[in-house]
Amino acid sequence: MPRYLIRRLGQALLVVAGVIVLTFAVMRLVPGDPAVAYAGPKATAAELAEARRRFGLDDPLPVQLWNYVRDLLHGDWGISLHTRQPVRDDLFQAFPASLELVGAALIIAVAAGIPLGVAAARYKGRLPDLSVRLSSMLAVSVPVFWLALALQTVFASGLGWFPVAGEYDASLDRTSPLHLYTNITAVDALITGNWPILTSTLSHLVLPALVIAAYPAGVVAQMTRAALIEESSRDHARLERALGFGETAVLTRFALRPALNPVLSLIALVFAYSIVNGFLVEAVFNWPGLGRYAADSIRSLDTPAIAGVTLLVAVLYVVANLAVDLLQGVVDPRVRAR
Amino acid sequence: MRWHKRLLAAGAVAAVTLTAAACAGGKVRGAADSTPQPGSSASAADSTFVYVPNLDVVTDWDPASSYSNEIIAMENIYESLTRYNPQTKKAEPRLATSWTTSSDGKKWTFTLREGVKFHTGKPVDAAAAKAAIERTIKEGKGAAYIWGAVKKIKAKDPTTLEFTLKYPAPLDLIASAGYASYIYDTTAASGDLNKWFNEGHDAGSGPYTIDSWQKGQETELTLKAFDDYWGGWNGPHYKKVAYRVTPELTTAWQLLQRGEVSFVQRLNAQLFAQAAGTDTVQTSQTPSFQNLLVLFNTAGGPLKDVRLRQALQKAIDYDGLLAAMKGSGVAASGLVPEGLLGSVSGMTPKQDLAGAEALLKEAGYGPGGKQLELTLTYAQGDSDQELLVTLLSSALDKLNVKLQAKPLQWTTQWDQGKSKDPSKRQDIFVMYWFPDYADAYSWFINVFHSEKDVQFNLSYLKNDAIDKEIDELPALTATDPAAAEKAYADLQNKIINEQAAVAVPYVQNYQRAYAKSVEGYVDNPAYPNVVFVYDLKPGA
Repeated sequence: MPRYLIRRLGQALLVVAGVIVLTFAVMRLVPGDPAVAYAGPKATAAELAEARRRFGLDDPLPVQLWNYVRDLLHGDWGISLHTRQPVRDDLFQAFPASLELVGAALIIAVAAGIPLGVAAARYKGRLPDLSVRLSSMLAVSVPVFWLALALQTVFASGLGWFPVAGEYDASLDRTSPLHLYTNITAVDALITGNWPILTSTLSHLVLPALVIAAYPAGVVAQMTRAALIEESSRDHARLERALGFGETAVLTRFALRPALNPVLSLIALVFAYSIVNGFLVEAVFNWPGLGRYAADSIRSLDTPAIAGVTLLVAVLYVVANLAVDLLQGVVDPRVRAR
Repeated sequence: MRWHKRLLAAGAVAAVTLTAAACAGGKVRGAADSTPQPGSSASAADSTFVYVPNLDVVTDWDPASSYSNEIIAMENIYESLTRYNPQTKKAEPRLATSWTTSSDGKKWTFTLREGVKFHTGKPVDAAAAKAAIERTIKEGKGAAYIWGAVKKIKAKDPTTLEFTLKYPAPLDLIASAGYASYIYDTTAASGDLNKWFNEGHDAGSGPYTIDSWQKGQETELTLKAFDDYWGGWNGPHYKKVAYRVTPELTTAWQLLQRGEVSFVQRLNAQLFAQAAGTDTVQTSQTPSFQNLLVLFNTAGGPLKDVRLRQALQKAIDYDGLLAAMKGSGVAASGLVPEGLLGSVSGMTPKQDLAGAEALLKEAGYGPGGKQLELTLTYAQGDSDQELLVTLLSSALDKLNVKLQAKPLQWTTQWDQGKSKDPSKRQDIFVMYWFPDYADAYSWFINVFHSEKDVQFNLSYLKNDAIDKEIDELPALTATDPAAAEKAYADLQNKIINEQAAVAVPYVQNYQRAYAKSVEGYVDNPAYPNVVFVYDLKPGA
């Protein structure tokens, strides 16, 4: 196990190093002068020179790369050209909101996807199975941006069942100030017993979380169905049936647990994917997360911020992959031997 | 619990703990007082004006260097000596109640309003105003260059501020600028003032002061009434202002429709039309001070021939473009937008393909002649500019002119335009221009005055007679506005008609949508996107 762990950690570090070099290259290859983006189009020559000095843009490229890596290792992710704040601070501000949204979406996805997968497997080839397969295919293929606008128009603007946008009712900041511990609004509201903000956040979460949940719910339902069908054709299932257990009991009591292993691995991978998939949803619902930050950064050609978001997402992918591999290594000794 | 599940659970706990450790600090979001929502049961006098911008509000809180979108809040927090009125085309009193200028336009004396206080509690007097302007000049950032003419400032007594200038300039207009003209308390912080400002503090004298600022949040900024404001709070006024950042236009429209917000800065043509037909919403359209310039390369390449430049001016389908823009642009007449001293009537251009063909033929090109190949650069992602390019390409195609148009990021487009090697420059450069204060001089000195190193003169016009006339504009504006008006008209004739250095397809139009309950809203293009909230009345 230690050799396997070291090997996987080494590979993960190599990927992160590659991403760092790539983000640096993209920052420097993007047309346009970052000094102009920082100092503004009407900046004087002295202001431009000061901006170039500040960002070390006059140094040779290898020196700039070395400085970039050194600063990253010291926790300095650069200064945003748009917000003029340290990129790391901006990301720490925005990421918890994305985490909250994607976390809620994954809870919905698991809560809906697994029972649907079980139902499809139980009634394989019949109407419930066909309905689940069709709806999960729809959920996976429908563009999130369209789904977001459609749900917002119908359930928020039209029927008025949910708020149109935002993370919670901003007027509560005055009447029920929130103490921040994790920066995740729903979690902090729960920890501190701030019920007005908690209920407001939950009602604001419903629509965007449903939109983000559509893809993972579809994938989880399909994966659960496939894994259950495979598991229920094994010898142990035949024995269970012979012992008199009904089909539902065979699936839920015996086949479901081993079938969930690949589903759990899938959820870890879908988490990182959902963070990026949620960018457009955040834009539609005004969710103050990474998506809005990324969109603003791209609009203003804020290369340090774009690189920061890219690096964070890449690290999330690497960590999620690593977690899945390690988990599979723990569960299945054959993986470690490969 | 099996141990791999424990590992999973431990991982989840670790993730939350790590986030907490990274982001925590036990800070409090919000403050303990009450903010009523628009349309809530709160009394009108206590209501909140909710402004929906498309972009983040604050980049720089320092009134000396602020030069970005925060103007929408700063103009409600800070005040300048004067404020520009586009109806009268004159500066009007704000912190200064009156002013005089010497006959040569080089000495200006402002009388300050009495009894005005900064939000810090200190009085706004001539010494404080002098200190603020001098700090802005010394910092030299953002739009601080607007004070370039100032040689000396003297606080003669608490209400008299005297400026001595290096050369004549319209200081009343300069003092009305949307950036860098703010009067603020330079003694507000004991340490680094810039740092103090950028922590979210203010030291203005305007009707509102910062209540809370939460960077990155949806409601990024809220302002509250400054009780000691010199204008007083008698009568109906909004007591709070909230800025709710909403990049998605459809979402902004839905928030307005639901009555959750008071004012939407921008909608697209389709949503604006929908807003115009909605009972609970009002709309307004006002031409801005920003126009699109199509600059022709007068110094090199085929367009060195003035006949070809004139042909291009005639080839543009001005009416078709405006129709396709569906109200987001209005016809331009000359270089100077309406509402500024120097704007002229009767210079609205029209497409004339026959005229263009004749000029091309005269120069040896056109249908049946040599094919003319031109390069054009424009802003990537700007749908209005894209529309112009599409229409122009199609019109030129019929005239045997091949247009190679490249959409570029501004910095790339600008770098190419400024290239020291003339052969690398484009034939046509498309860009917007707007003044930093309400003075048409900005177009002429920046875009059409000859430059040793190219900055914004991207038609590369170099004409001594035009330079001389441009140099005389500030003095004329300061001392003889009627003569200035004439000089502006003459210059526009020379630059557009004689030199054909530029075509002006349209002036951008501000299209606002706001709640029916908002009374008294007037768009002032001198302060882009600013709503002077104190001037509004919250209706029922």
